[in-house]
Amino acid sequence: MSVAFAWLSALLVPALLAMVTGFLLRRGLPSLQVALWFGDTPPLAALLHGAPVFDGIWPACLGTLYLVALVALMAVPLGVASGIFLAEYAGGRTKLAFSFCIELLAGIPSILMGLFGFALILFLRRSFAPEANTCLLLSAFCLTLLVLPYLISSTRLAIESLPDALRLTGASLGLSHWQLIRRILLPASAPGIFSGVILAIGRAAEDTAVILMTGVVANAGTPGSLTAKYEALPFHIYYLAAEYQSPAELAQAFATALVLLALTGLLLLAARRLQAGLEIK
Amino acid sequence: MKAAIRVEKLSVSFAGKHVIRHLSLEIASGGPTFLVGRSGSGKTTLLRALNRLNECLPGCATSGQVELRLGEQWVDAYAATTNVENLRRRVGMVFQSPNVLPLSILRNIEMPLKVALSLPADEAEARAEQALREVHLWDEVKDRLSQAASTLSGGQQQRLCLARTLALRPQILLLDEPTASLDFKAAQRIEDLLLELKSRYTLLVVSHSLGQARRIAESLFVLHDGERIEALSKDVFQDRDALFSVMDELI
Amino acid sequence: MAARLLYCAAAVSALAVLAILAFLVYFSLPLFQGDQLAALFSWHWRPLQNEFGILPMIAASLALAVSSMLVAYPLALGVCCFAHGLGPDWAARPLLVAVRLMSSVPTVVYGLVAAFSLVPLIRGASSGSGLCWLAALLTLAVLALPTIVLLLDNQFQRLESEIRLTAAALGLTRVQEMLQLTLPLSSRGLVMAAILGFGRALGDTLVPLMLAGNAPQPPLSLLDPMRTLTAHIALVVATDSQSAAYNSLFACGLILFLLTVLVNLGLRRIRTGATAHG
Repeated sequence: MSVAFAWLSALLVPALLAMVTGFLLRRGLPSLQVALWFGDTPPLAALLHGAPVFDGIWPACLGTLYLVALVALMAVPLGVASGIFLAEYAGGRTKLAFSFCIELLAGIPSILMGLFGFALILFLRRSFAPEANTCLLLSAFCLTLLVLPYLISSTRLAIESLPDALRLTGASLGLSHWQLIRRILLPASAPGIFSGVILAIGRAAEDTAVILMTGVVANAGTPGSLTAKYEALPFHIYYLAAEYQSPAELAQAFATALVLLALTGLLLLAARRLQAGLEIK
Repeated sequence: MKAAIRVEKLSVSFAGKHVIRHLSLEIASGGPTFLVGRSGSGKTTLLRALNRLNECLPGCATSGQVELRLGEQWVDAYAATTNVENLRRRVGMVFQSPNVLPLSILRNIEMPLKVALSLPADEAEARAEQALREVHLWDEVKDRLSQAASTLSGGQQQRLCLARTLALRPQILLLDEPTASLDFKAAQRIEDLLLELKSRYTLLVVSHSLGQARRIAESLFVLHDGERIEALSKDVFQDRDALFSVMDELI
Repeated sequence: MAARLLYCAAAVSALAVLAILAFLVYFSLPLFQGDQLAALFSWHWRPLQNEFGILPMIAASLALAVSSMLVAYPLALGVCCFAHGLGPDWAARPLLVAVRLMSSVPTVVYGLVAAFSLVPLIRGASSGSGLCWLAALLTLAVLALPTIVLLLDNQFQRLESEIRLTAAALGLTRVQEMLQLTLPLSSRGLVMAAILGFGRALGDTLVPLMLAGNAPQPPLSLLDPMRTLTAHIALVVATDSQSAAYNSLFACGLILFLLTVLVNLGLRRIRTGATAHG
């Protein structure tokens, strides 16, 4: 009887996957053309001369790209460094305390990260910077906090899973602790760390709740500066789904979803490839 | 000599790599029959081919024939009509390092009886006690049957594994280096136990220890690189110097 | 020297948590000082009439999380058991690949698809708009399913590496091994996966925002619209209302944070319980 239930559940998975992908393809594929990205503006003009794009998702693509780049810049060094610290330097109480904080951070819902960013702006307005406003930088900062736990955990896991023999070898060669980490452990755990970085980037690219609260808008053109509002792919989808004015706009939402799906799918594939490389070793 | 196991042109490969190639041999009932050879010569794979345990490992391909005499009938191990779970109960196996299940001492033995043989609780309990007595473990554990099996010493755990297998009432016992992870005293107890069991079961023992073979083996096979198998007669391997010189040549 | 730098890095993360909590408390303080606190814990959210009761949202969040787990967890367990012996050997790997693909789909995409396939379906079969508890519940279940499957898979793999050969040598079928050994011995891991899934469902914003209807009323029927704490926060921020509503926002955030901490502590309890006995 439980076997029958297991079969049923197992069949459900590919069915759901097929339904979702099929639905998206059916509704979105027709709109997957150059016009999706650039609207009426000629692509080259938009790309090279910065001609404004009104009806396309290019600004949103750029927004997501900038966002992800900023997050990577902030989160990766911080996360990897913290992960190394926890794996190699922290002991006893420190380790426990930090682990607890990071686990807590991991469990905090994304909307609260957004609320935090929002609160930060309110606070700044009341005190140091009355001109402060939600913007690209703020979103990147909050997204950094969101993905930090993943980065720290995957880095820590990658390093801790290395065989002890590796450490003993390094020590017996007379390497200092930091040299051991830099020359032996980090290169050896690089695939695992990279795959964690890629997954974190994917998470940052697809998040909607945080950016909702910290500066994303439906129409801002290509991101002008760090302190400006911006557009992003996930929000574009949400916005169109809630406020579409015509079937064409709805179709655009589905096409955008396909683009986003392709992006996260690719990132997942890259992460798995790296991880497989690690496992073979 | 009454044969209990017949192997004909057995080949086993994992992911294309051959571990055993065209091996044929006949093993007498009782024994203990010892199987020795260099590391990597395929002894464990040969053993596992007899209860089809290789199939649980990825990429396994087996060809050839294995016949086992179970209850006066010859059973073709790899025939499509053979139930593999049934086979594995009747051809019991003891592993190199004791592999007690993460359960209590009593449940380690009772659980397979209740689940695999569908025995009612009282019968399972009776058989468990009988098996524990057979391996001389009963007196040591009878007051702590509900404690975790992992709290036993290495030697006790290995005897527990043996009891667990015996409770299933097999006819053939496959032992893969049963004393390799035990200290001298514990190993000795297992060896004495094997001598007791040989009258009731057919024993096939893979071992690294020539000394052990000399002490308790009834017949000896030497396996080379998964391809050649050489039977040594008792007078050869019981004589220490003769055995070592032969071994030097063979291996 | 490197150690100090790294220590600082880790400290930042730790500080982040404290900072988030500090901000939430700081902005919720006005509520505690006035008599507005009691007003918060009412069942009526009518900002225009100065009523800022958030109980409906709390109830909705909990109800949605629990109900979606009731759907997702058994299915996830079924899928995982299938991949670990209850189904044919060749099917395990493709199934897990499919599950991983499912987990890579962004939340907003699930919301989009559900909004235009599931919701019309419910609308056609009932009298409402289709945006309701049921729509959010089912979509959230689909969202949580892959995560739980992967968690359970991890758990089963670890146990299996220990007992697979032993169980086979004893003549147990894979079904018997799963039902009699793996499941009972994984009980702690099973509970942890449930708690983690619950936490995930509790914290999701997009699905309830897009599919649950967002009516601030207590969840009495599956076909009624509801508003979760997460959706509430997103909605109130978007609408430029007055300060009183803002403060309630942070109270919501605080409650959500506390729930998260509870979930986390529950997890730790189970985990340390495991290492004590294991």
